[in-house]
Amino acid sequence: MVNAARRQDIKGKLVFLWFAGLSVVILAGVIAGYHVFTKGLVITNLTDLVPWGLWITIDLSSIAMAAGAFSICAVVYLVGLKKYEPIARTATFVGFVGYSMAMLCLLMDIGRPDRFWHGFVFWNPHSVLWEVTMCVGLYFSVLSLEILPIIGQTDWLRKYVPGLSEKLVAIHHYAPVLAIFGLGFSLLHQSSLGGTYGVLQARPAWYRPNLSVLFIYSAVLGGVSMTLFVSMLASRISSKARVDDSLIEQMAHFIGWALLGYLYFRFWDTFSVSYTYQPGRSEAFALLTKGSLAISFWFGEVIFGMVVPVFILLKAKLRRNPTLRMVALGMIAAGVIAYRWDVNLMGQLVVLTYLPQEIAVRYASYTPSLVEILTGAGVIAYGMFAVSVGVLFFNVVDHYRVEHDVVEHLPQVVSHDGALPQLAE
Amino acid sequence: MTEQKIRRRDFLKMIGAGIAVALGLRSKRTAASGPVGHSPYHWVMVIDQAKCIGCGYCTLACQAHNDAPPEIHWNRIIEVGKFEKKTVYLARPCMHCDHAPCVSACPVKASYKRADGIVMMDYDRCIGCRYCEAACPYGARAFNWSEFDGDNPAVPKWGVPEVPRRPRGVVEKCSFCYHRIDYGLELGLKPGEDVVATPACVVVCPVGARVFGNLNDPDSKVSQLLASTPHFRLREDMGTHPRVYYLPARNTQT
Repeated sequence: MVNAARRQDIKGKLVFLWFAGLSVVILAGVIAGYHVFTKGLVITNLTDLVPWGLWITIDLSSIAMAAGAFSICAVVYLVGLKKYEPIARTATFVGFVGYSMAMLCLLMDIGRPDRFWHGFVFWNPHSVLWEVTMCVGLYFSVLSLEILPIIGQTDWLRKYVPGLSEKLVAIHHYAPVLAIFGLGFSLLHQSSLGGTYGVLQARPAWYRPNLSVLFIYSAVLGGVSMTLFVSMLASRISSKARVDDSLIEQMAHFIGWALLGYLYFRFWDTFSVSYTYQPGRSEAFALLTKGSLAISFWFGEVIFGMVVPVFILLKAKLRRNPTLRMVALGMIAAGVIAYRWDVNLMGQLVVLTYLPQEIAVRYASYTPSLVEILTGAGVIAYGMFAVSVGVLFFNVVDHYRVEHDVVEHLPQVVSHDGALPQLAE
Repeated sequence: MTEQKIRRRDFLKMIGAGIAVALGLRSKRTAASGPVGHSPYHWVMVIDQAKCIGCGYCTLACQAHNDAPPEIHWNRIIEVGKFEKKTVYLARPCMHCDHAPCVSACPVKASYKRADGIVMMDYDRCIGCRYCEAACPYGARAFNWSEFDGDNPAVPKWGVPEVPRRPRGVVEKCSFCYHRIDYGLELGLKPGEDVVATPACVVVCPVGARVFGNLNDPDSKVSQLLASTPHFRLREDMGTHPRVYYLPARNTQT
């Protein structure tokens, strides 16, 4: 008894330390962010040759990690595999946090954050980036609607503002409709984020159709893996998170096969670049496989991002070990993040010249500045903070939650004279 | 059941209304790909590499007239090689492409194409996402990483500012001195011939390596030069159709 109380005490202290630590990082990020807003982007290491750096990588990665929301919601509400509904709840919350992280990054990255709304008012339908802007904005609205029922289900709201709680929970009724919109917007912008790079003829390392396909594919993989990873990790740390391990195992098995498919496509995507010499593209390939991106490519993407997790998730004995499975899922997510980093930089570090006498390449360099690292860490810490709050206070990871929130109103039979029917004797 | 149906219909109505409002808010600017509408003018610039001596006066005049900060060069001079022991230079303004990658890339139509071919920048609309910088094959775009609030070292020696300074956080580039062209046309002058109506870099060039004019006018200097001399444009393989033509370094003594 004494032992249990003591354990509780230690656990409470650890939770406090976790939140305190995250708060410190967030605070550092806020201070660095303030400097960005007052001094401008001159304090970053971005240049006219490498205009997109660490923040864009975090932005792309957060959006990819959020892709579990649309994928699992589509599986549950459109395909009709209702047994995965508890995971959809986690995925939706993680998705909401991911998109808010992405928007924080973008707000810092654009030169005129006061004009962030221009994309919604001044349309350029020819621009892939415009399409991304619209879809991200609209999908964030969908996600906001999707998490309102989760907020409505909290005990304190139900107790103190029951009217509001009931209204918020009622939105869950539209989950299938929201899933359709979520699927549409996500398929559009998750792949268009790859297309944003892929349509630029000026950058031969990017200019190919594969990027759109690989972006949506890897986003679904990374997003679902991240959702499962968060669920498993939370269930080990907090008693508030309860998972049905067999449910996760089934999904992880599927991810294993899907990852094998991704390995195949990523292999051809990379290999096809090596066929013939093409100015700009071949140099970028060298950069990726033996240059400054090699560590991130071989270790981040290939070995720990694909080969090892494929092995763990497809071998039943290894997959059934929860610790190994959790590590494999985390590796997949990290591999997808490494892929975003590699894509973003390989097109920018190699610049094709426009001189007529020689089509030559120039090399640019980029290392994020301290301000970029601090603000980026702040955004990531905010994401961890938000997910922790979700686990502890909104029960977002709870596979055994009993659905008692949807109140069914049975039709009241009224007779023609308006009198209530008499109860049967 | 009926209650549910009505609610669903209301939901769809709300979405419909939302789309209608969004369509109403749409900007009415011309389409993003290619020039729209007709103009009697087709502005082009011809740069003669046989004449250019790489003095850089064009860059300085440009910085003064357009009030650009010292670290931003709308016009760049690049040493590209030797021809008969003489150094050859390449002057690179904005190409004002007919199929401008920056115009289709810009998410908010801050970059747009005028009917007369000039690729414009709307500095009040630009959000500073820098996608156009990645899209431009010619490196013609520069971002305002910081506020330019000091003195312009090129002023007044190389000219007096004619356009307002750009704020921090927007992308800028060569505008073919559109303000001089528009003002000149208003006064009934001929851009390319009358100094006031011609881009500053063309006016300042001490060796006459730059020529500006209307390609729609067969008698203009640019039309005649391009008809009589072999010429090339940068990265024609990409199909951007630049409006800056180069006459290559060649033996002009014959």
